[in-house]
Amino acid sequence: MNLQNDLANLLNIPYWMSSTNIIHNIVGIIIYIIVISIAFSIFGYMVGWLERKLIARAQYRHGPTYVGMWGLLQNMADLIKLLSKEDVIPENADRMLFAASLPLLLALSIFIVLLLPYSPGLQAANLGFGLLIVFTIISFMPLLLFTAAFSSGNKFADISAQRSVLILLSYELPILLVVVSVAALSGSYNLAGIVASQSSSHYFALLLPIGLVVFFIAMLAEFERPPFDLREADSELIAGWLTDVSAPYYALALFLDYARMFLGSIIISILFFGGWLGPSILPPFAWIIIKALIISVFIIIVRATTFRMRIDRVLRFGWVWLIPLSLLNLIITYIVIIPFVK
Amino acid sequence: MTVTRINVGPVHPSTHGVIRLVVDLEGDTIVNVEPHIGFLHRGVEKLAESRMYMQIPPYMEKLDYVAPMSYNEAYVATVETAMGIQVSERSQYIRVILLELQRIASHLLSLGTLCNDIGQTFTAFMWAFKDRDIVLDLLQEATGSRMFYVNMRLGGLREDLPADFSEHTLNTMDYLEKRIPEYVAYLEKNPIFTERMKGIGVITRDEAKQLGVTGPVLRASGVNYDVRRSNAYYVYSKLHFTPKSLQDGDNFSRYKVRILEIQESVRLVKSALKALPEGNAKGMQVKLRSPNPVNRISVVNRELPKGECMMYMVADPQKPYRLSIRSPSFINLAAINHMAKGERFADLFGILGTLDIIMGCVDR
Amino acid sequence: MKVDRDALISTIGKMKSEGFDYLLKITAVDYVDHVDSIYILRNFDTSKDEILEVTLDPADLWVPTIIGMHPSADWYERELCEMFGIAIKGRNASRLILEKWDGVDPPSRKSFAWYAPYKTIDDNK
Repeated sequence: MNLQNDLANLLNIPYWMSSTNIIHNIVGIIIYIIVISIAFSIFGYMVGWLERKLIARAQYRHGPTYVGMWGLLQNMADLIKLLSKEDVIPENADRMLFAASLPLLLALSIFIVLLLPYSPGLQAANLGFGLLIVFTIISFMPLLLFTAAFSSGNKFADISAQRSVLILLSYELPILLVVVSVAALSGSYNLAGIVASQSSSHYFALLLPIGLVVFFIAMLAEFERPPFDLREADSELIAGWLTDVSAPYYALALFLDYARMFLGSIIISILFFGGWLGPSILPPFAWIIIKALIISVFIIIVRATTFRMRIDRVLRFGWVWLIPLSLLNLIITYIVIIPFVK
Repeated sequence: MTVTRINVGPVHPSTHGVIRLVVDLEGDTIVNVEPHIGFLHRGVEKLAESRMYMQIPPYMEKLDYVAPMSYNEAYVATVETAMGIQVSERSQYIRVILLELQRIASHLLSLGTLCNDIGQTFTAFMWAFKDRDIVLDLLQEATGSRMFYVNMRLGGLREDLPADFSEHTLNTMDYLEKRIPEYVAYLEKNPIFTERMKGIGVITRDEAKQLGVTGPVLRASGVNYDVRRSNAYYVYSKLHFTPKSLQDGDNFSRYKVRILEIQESVRLVKSALKALPEGNAKGMQVKLRSPNPVNRISVVNRELPKGECMMYMVADPQKPYRLSIRSPSFINLAAINHMAKGERFADLFGILGTLDIIMGCVDR
Repeated sequence: MKVDRDALISTIGKMKSEGFDYLLKITAVDYVDHVDSIYILRNFDTSKDEILEVTLDPADLWVPTIIGMHPSADWYERELCEMFGIAIKGRNASRLILEKWDGVDPPSRKSFAWYAPYKTIDDNK
């Protein structure tokens, strides 16, 4: 088992943690889950701070400056404020679904985080079909938004729910088509295998530029980043599916917004930018985080500059451009890249 | 298909004040919009009947809190007409300069909020507000206040312009001349922006006359009417003012007309500053007793940033017997049902943004 | 220009065909012994405004609607109805537009009670 060895090296854990004893294994995995979840939360939080700062810079503002150094603790202050507020569940909401949706969304995010590889062996479970499982879970997320929106019994949230399903229908397909081409190129559905089959001169980003563009745009839609943030379009739908969500759940939703963006960046860096690969001056997991942060910055810049698309245009864009392009990408992969480049 | 009725406002992020729109939706398409106004009704017209003439300008400024000076000037000009008071030439020039600065500020705000309405994360909003702030600095220099100026006096102004004002203004206008094309490039090169604006909320020329819309909304529909030229007041005809109009009558033309008007106002301010004559700019002091009116009924039309304002005043000694205000936002808002019908729900807010309504002006 | 109430529709129709096809404002002035309803029309080609005054008897306050010729009269007529208590014949203009008011006393009329007599709890007993 690589995992325990790696963890032991990484965290300086005594040797008994990395033994083959099953109890030690379970303890090791639990510790891994806790450590990775905390690390993920911290990075999600940092990305939230980065977003606020970068967007502020784009708008001639300074962003948060007062709480902590460079306003680093501003999000924490917001969190504490939101947690101290009253939690209101609307009268005509389906209480159970309404209360369960957002925690479930968090659980799914952490589930994906655990399945992703961060350096050779640093992965909770190295599944043979890890890629497919990750994307199955990702496609559940809009469904959870849908239940959250419909259960709140708000008309704005209803519209948001309908949009959520429409986007799911038209943007799930290009994602999966690109994923298939990535899997075909690497020859496996194993996430660690995909990273291992890339090398610094053979990043899939260079081999599949069309695939990268399609995947990036579709992931923006999947994680409701602008210009596809139709589900919580603040100028039209007040807050969309979050309209009736109050205090602690809203804090959770805000955190998930940032965390899912970071998650999407990690997935893109694994599939297209060779995950942990990089010069050995830095440890492998540092490379994946650096790559993910750079992709996050790009997503944030898109948010700072663009306008929101309209739902019919979003759907047309998905069907007229993204799906044909992803098919083209698949064809090029099979006809040109696999026979000639590999 | 079933019709969903949605209540937009009075508390909603993009309603530009307190307005309630009852929107009937069929799927995502708007079937009917019913505006409910009056949340900001303060009875200014009635209030004016109980105040002395020069006690009223502060109330007038609160009508349009984005361009207060324009309303103030329209009212003061009405009183001047009623009393037969002449405005000195220097005051006329200064009034034109200040009014055009006010127009630039108002249009910039309209541009920023429009970008927010069609779904940007406050970026162009902040840019527009930053530039508006520079213009407000000039107005502060000239009047001493940033928001409510109350600097119009019968026959002139409260104060003449300060010494450095001309130089500062020319610098700022040079900056704006470079700056406005940046907005245009940033916005119009964005395919999402043009797609959200072009062909949305169309009013044809005939419909515009029928619906009675005014100002930039009217000029965007191909009616080349601007009070500043057709019914020119002050020194606009000397400054060779040319109204800007476009033909399409959609959201994009309305946005574009405002951009062109900003550029025209910049030009006007520069040429007015260059032609500024010497003389007395101070008006009459505000006293308890004002001169008695000579005209019983006086009607004054003014081109405000939002559209054409008309003041119909029946004068009594010392206070107005009746003051009736034709507010441009009021009649522009009345057209929203016609414009939004058949459009997508998301575009309702783009239309509302290009109408550039101010609820204080709508409700009076 | 003074216009008789019965001739209002025909006058506005005639003016519309002469180019006065833009309604600027409908308003009213309460002169206590009579109420003037005022229509301001505009000709865009000549930039001329024409003011029509319709004198009404306070006991018989109504004007015909002109919404058929000028759809923009819609809100003005509603305002007129609400603020002056002038009935608009030919359409239902009774829905309040500006005030949430029960419409007992039209606010813009001179008879409107500015300061309601102050009553204490004792007075109500």
